[in-house]
Amino acid sequence: MTIGLEEYLVLGALLFSIGLYIALAKRNAIGVLMGVELMLNAVNLTLVAFSRFSDSEVALSAQVFVVFIIAVAAAEVAVGLALALVVYRNRQTVNLDKTDLLKW
Amino acid sequence: MSDFGFHLAFWSLASVTVGGALMIIVSRNLIHAVIFLILSLLGVAGLYLTLSADFIAVVQILIYVGAISVLMLFAIMLTPRVERDNSETRLRYPAAIIMGMVLTATVFVALDTDWGEVRGAALGEQARLIGESLIREYVLPFEIGAVLLTAALVGAIALAREDPEDAVVHAASLRQEAAGPASDEPEQVSDPAPSVGDGSGETEAAPSGPASAGSPAGGSGAR
Repeated sequence: MTIGLEEYLVLGALLFSIGLYIALAKRNAIGVLMGVELMLNAVNLTLVAFSRFSDSEVALSAQVFVVFIIAVAAAEVAVGLALALVVYRNRQTVNLDKTDLLKW
Repeated sequence: MSDFGFHLAFWSLASVTVGGALMIIVSRNLIHAVIFLILSLLGVAGLYLTLSADFIAVVQILIYVGAISVLMLFAIMLTPRVERDNSETRLRYPAAIIMGMVLTATVFVALDTDWGEVRGAALGEQARLIGESLIREYVLPFEIGAVLLTAALVGAIALAREDPEDAVVHAASLRQEAAGPASDEPEQVSDPAPSVGDGSGETEAAPSGPASAGSPAGGSGAR
């Protein structure tokens, strides 16, 4: 059995699903951010796998995409953690069950 | 690359990655969860190496393992100990159902599609090639990314910074809530006075906010 594209894709799907579960189910805002980071990593892994198992001359574009995704993820996590700190300062909690000011 | 070594590397890195991700779900302490996230991200970096993507692997370790995890640890350290619980909400079972559906769909697509994969030679000199394409065909997204990072930096500072005047108003409103609606006027007038007397308004006004709210002392150190 050789390790081909399918193994990497299944691994990326598994990682994405775990990140999705964490982002949906965790009670702590920082935990939710960790789930989002896992999902972004799964997508990056899939893109790099596609880039490796392709002989197109634009195969390197996938790696450039990955660089952009990492940059956007860094921006997202910086703003997200600042938001978590502000929510904590104003409401004395980062529990997402109690952060329901905008709920109907 | 010998086949056995490649198999060993792939399966051990895959188990480290997925195991670390699963331990994030299981662990109850948020600090431990971040440690397992670092482990999982390191596993992904190793998987990039098995895909011959050396530049991406180094970037992954530098940015994710080096910067983002430390940022998360800082954010956890700045909230008090009672906020380090990592349990799930009551949405656990709907989330598990959605996760199962997404996993089934993506695995089915991954295994059922004929990808026409070609395992050619790996690209050499990836750092040079990526750098060249960043300043040739991807120069506009590159510049937009620079603007985005600047905006995120300024936004994060603006969000996390506690304005001294806001802190005074916030403390006054909190005290007003505690004391009832009748006694708001003398409180607001008397509040800025000690901060002016001490000379430095910024260091003086900030502790009065959470302290008057009766909160734990970790709140004032959150800046």
